[in-house]
Amino acid sequence: MELSYPPFEMTDTGGKPTGVSVRLAEALGEYLGREVVIENIAFDGLIPALRTGTIDCIISSMTATAERARSIAFSEPYLTTGLTLLVGKDSPIKSADDLDQPGIRVAVKIGTTAHKFAARDLKRAQVFVLNRESAAVLEVIQGKVDAFIYDSLSIYRHHRRHPDTTRAFLKPIREETWAIGLRKGDEELRQQINGFLKQFKAEGGFERLGNEFLQEEKAFFAKNGIPFYF
Amino acid sequence: MQQMSRTLAHTIVALAFMALLTLACLQVPGEWNWSGVWEYRQKFLQGWLVTLGLSLAALVLSVLIGLVVALLLAARNPLVEAVGRIYVELIRGTPLLVQLLLGFYVIANAVGLENRFVVGTLVLAAFSGAYMAEIFRGGLDAIPKTQRDSARAIGLTRWQSFRLVILPQAIRLVLPAVAGQLVSLIKDSSLLSVIAISELTLNAQEVNSFTYSTLESYLPLAVGYLLLTLPLSAASRRLEMAFRYER
Repeated sequence: MELSYPPFEMTDTGGKPTGVSVRLAEALGEYLGREVVIENIAFDGLIPALRTGTIDCIISSMTATAERARSIAFSEPYLTTGLTLLVGKDSPIKSADDLDQPGIRVAVKIGTTAHKFAARDLKRAQVFVLNRESAAVLEVIQGKVDAFIYDSLSIYRHHRRHPDTTRAFLKPIREETWAIGLRKGDEELRQQINGFLKQFKAEGGFERLGNEFLQEEKAFFAKNGIPFYF
Repeated sequence: MQQMSRTLAHTIVALAFMALLTLACLQVPGEWNWSGVWEYRQKFLQGWLVTLGLSLAALVLSVLIGLVVALLLAARNPLVEAVGRIYVELIRGTPLLVQLLLGFYVIANAVGLENRFVVGTLVLAAFSGAYMAEIFRGGLDAIPKTQRDSARAIGLTRWQSFRLVILPQAIRLVLPAVAGQLVSLIKDSSLLSVIAISELTLNAQEVNSFTYSTLESYLPLAVGYLLLTLPLSAASRRLEMAFRYER
């Protein structure tokens, strides 16, 4: 996983990996009776690392897309969310329909589903690809781009942190599901992981993690009918 | 004749390196998939052209900045000298990455400069210019004082002795270092990707993430930079020959 996506993948003040995905990985290790080693790898390097055998599975808030499924296998999805917009205060964007217009500047993080979406579906808008989420948010705040496309939870949090300079459009422009990534042909592990996810959900494991890490967001999203659930 | 045998030697050694690299590539686990990279060839070309344009502009600017700052460094007025010295130390003492981020998100933002290509080129030129200034200053300092004295003794004015005696010798001395610095500048332009300038390295990374390839994008990337740096090295060697007085 890439430890730069709180509260799913992050490090505590002592530098130790923590977050929803880390807990999920630990529970998985327990279920399988195997030791868990967390490797911190940049998001766009995760699939190559999996394919070359550096790691055995990806738990990094990764959306299961058809393109990715061509090079790796996925478990059953464990979370539903969507792509949303963080829009600058003075940007001309009034709704998601205004996104793909000439003169609109859009930021995305490299390797994300938003990047793929922008490259394929945004024909008229100008797309800027950034390596860091923080830089993309800064570009929105400073008005250097009109919008940043990312998942609903992150956009919500960034908007909460910068309420005066940004607006959040949390109605998803596309719904997505997250899953655990595996090497193709690793069928036995896939079955085991699916079994684990089923059991973890039945035991209320996701409910516990959600309450621990995402209480405020869960309540807000539920109230406003924004898809974000395990 | 000597020229031919040298060209031959270069070809042989280059081929040997490529053979070694190919062998190393075969050791990488997993298979190489070139179709994805080929599909995005247009993106490589666009990125290469952006890198070419940026580099050319920054190249010219950095030489100009280097000349001006070298003059500041050589100034007799201590205040003027201090301006040059502090510029060089500030720029050389901080990473280019930090300069780009601060330059774009803080300084350019404060003065209302919005165009990221312009800001990126300026920062890159300012960065390289600091090194260039020290190279120029070193070259001028390296000319023995007797040269100037002799020039003045045969009746040349100060400007004439600088232009006809000191400068040609200094240029010959600094050329290899200047060429090295310009090659560095071209490669450093890859860092402009942090402010979302769609240059060669960023485009290669994008292709990597679209195709989920591991290393396929990096080979065309290396070739792309060599296509820019090798002609520069060759041109510098030609210039060195031209400025040589013992042939």
